[in-house]
Amino acid sequence: MHYNWDWGVFFHSTGIGSEIYLDWFVKGLGWTIALSLAGWVIALLLGTVLGVMRTLPGKVLPRIAAVYVEIFRNIPLLVQLFVWYFIVPDLLPEGLQTWFKQDLNPATSAFISVVLCLGLFTAARVCEQVRTGIQALPKGQTNAAYALGLRIPQIYKEVLLPQAFRIIIPPLTSEFLNIFKNSSVASLIGLMELLAQTKQTAEFTANLFEAFTLATIIYFVLNMGLMLFMRWVEKRVRVPGLIALGGK
Amino acid sequence: MISIKNVSKWYGDFQVLTDCTTEVSKGEVVVVCGPSGSGKSTLIKCVNGLEPFQSGDIIVDGISVGSPKTDLPKLRSRVGMVFQHFELFPHLSITDNLALAQIKVLGRKEDEAKKKGLALLDRVGLSAHAAKFPGQLSGGQQQRVAIARALAMDPIAMLFDEPTSALDPEMINEVLDVMVQLAHEGMTMMCVTHEMGFARKVANRVIFMDKGAIVEDANKDEFFGSPRSERAQAFLSKILQH
Amino acid sequence: MDFSSLVTAMPGLVSGMMLTLKLLVLAIVGGVALGTLLALARLSHNKLLSNLAGFYVNYFRSIPLLLVITWFYFVVPFIIGWLTGTNEPIGAFYSCLVAFMMFEAAYYCEIVRAGIQSISRGQVNAAYALGMTYSQTMRLVILPQAFRKMTPLLLQQSIILFQDTSLVYAVGLMDFLNSARSAGDIVGELHQFLLFAGLVYFIISFGASTLVKRLQKRLTV
Repeated sequence: MHYNWDWGVFFHSTGIGSEIYLDWFVKGLGWTIALSLAGWVIALLLGTVLGVMRTLPGKVLPRIAAVYVEIFRNIPLLVQLFVWYFIVPDLLPEGLQTWFKQDLNPATSAFISVVLCLGLFTAARVCEQVRTGIQALPKGQTNAAYALGLRIPQIYKEVLLPQAFRIIIPPLTSEFLNIFKNSSVASLIGLMELLAQTKQTAEFTANLFEAFTLATIIYFVLNMGLMLFMRWVEKRVRVPGLIALGGK
Repeated sequence: MISIKNVSKWYGDFQVLTDCTTEVSKGEVVVVCGPSGSGKSTLIKCVNGLEPFQSGDIIVDGISVGSPKTDLPKLRSRVGMVFQHFELFPHLSITDNLALAQIKVLGRKEDEAKKKGLALLDRVGLSAHAAKFPGQLSGGQQQRVAIARALAMDPIAMLFDEPTSALDPEMINEVLDVMVQLAHEGMTMMCVTHEMGFARKVANRVIFMDKGAIVEDANKDEFFGSPRSERAQAFLSKILQH
Repeated sequence: MDFSSLVTAMPGLVSGMMLTLKLLVLAIVGGVALGTLLALARLSHNKLLSNLAGFYVNYFRSIPLLLVITWFYFVVPFIIGWLTGTNEPIGAFYSCLVAFMMFEAAYYCEIVRAGIQSISRGQVNAAYALGMTYSQTMRLVILPQAFRKMTPLLLQQSIILFQDTSLVYAVGLMDFLNSARSAGDIVGELHQFLLFAGLVYFIISFGASTLVKRLQKRLTV
């Protein structure tokens, strides 16, 4: 098989206006980052609420959160995406449905579907991390907070969550990196994020090695960069004198 | 001030407290002792509702702890508690540990709460450590801060749950000194402890528990002079040897 | 809900599931084997070997699986062509299989490595003291113990892999999800078929992870 290597391919014109192929990658990366961040906001908020629910006294709220986790963890991400993209819009009330399907730019409606999908999928995983973090704290902390007269919302806000979040920074970081990588499923419903742009470049130029190599490098570098950044954050928020957790 | 009436408690089928009845009057210092697993920690945690109980009732300053209508957080804010493992909040500085509940529960202004916290910190001899975090203090220092944190709420009574058992021997006295001082000032105190020296010095009464029941409830002199029950005698002879 | 079209489509769905399971089993076998080799390399005293394995793991863990699947789909035929000089297309199934094996090996490697490290150093010393070689020590003493400990984690990772096999949709392979989707498309009941597929995935994953949890409890007691 014959193959024409050309690492300069990214600076070739795409034939559309004055665009070069590198512009496609930049645009794709923009979508990837937007998807990840928007999905992460949902995942972190909902996941924290669910994680707190799982640790509350009583039966009903912990059970609801547990069922949520099992459902969203045991169905493949792609199936969930199809549900959000193909099924949920059809269930919307008439007016909203027309707006979503016709008035919205197709990229925007795909974006909304993917963000909801990623956010709700990752929330189940964040929930489990938050729960683990809270349960890792000594029971005495809750008792001490109760004994001072704090109420349950105050106990979570002032005592449990600030400690739990410090413990779970590393697993939360990898969940964020997962959402970043998982956002590539958007390419399967036609959203032109990084992977879709890569595929398109490969098909247009036939320089598929170069295109995929660049995409890989972008993912790799961003991943490593984020990991190092989060390690720095972890050090920044470390509590002086606290080596391991727990009462001495 | 604190009146415990026929309190019983079960974990499933296992009975941890059996028909416990006693009284702590205003200004009184009552020491609760007994072998481990005798239910003394459970009993003291029932007083501020940290442990629920199934029968009987506890009245603190006229308010029933067992009643579902009672605003437990409000009641707890008026009763100070000190724990075996200190339970300072490790993510907050000493100052913030002292101020948190004053601000969030009592609604005090931040500077007022901090001022009060610092004054109490000074009283337990730790004002130099205000800006540190709990993990940077020794066990004895942490426990003194924990006492100051409870006092900052202006409690009507203080509960101590084995406040010195997790401490290295050389740190026990610094904590006991603070407690003795508190007793002399007339604080109503209920203390679960093995420190019989402390009991001799300041207790009005001593309660001896075994297997979830109050076996002996006597004046200090009576208890140390001539304990009535055999179990208390055995316990005393064991513990006083050390 | 009308189940008659589901019944009609059943043969297609079953053959889709067979493909999914075939891919899954082969990917687990290949992935665990390669992952174990990588773990041994990572733990080796040879700096170069351990760095190479470390890079492999970091590399695959920081890129999306979907990227690997797509890339391999394009690239593997080229490489095979160069290696063998023929122009035979190998098909999406094998490119996916290679992608899954290589990708999952990075994840299995970390599990195996942690498993090996959890075996006390004393066991290695004891085996060496008996005159065993490195490979005997690993094969006869360390790995059997390590695999026992990490079975639950390996199984959990394999459940994730089971769900991830649905990504072969990207290269048009007719696995279970894709069969369901296309059957649904043909009869005009996409919703029903997608929900059915989701339900099947859920039942298998949930059932398997419940069993794994039970196994885990039994192993820790």
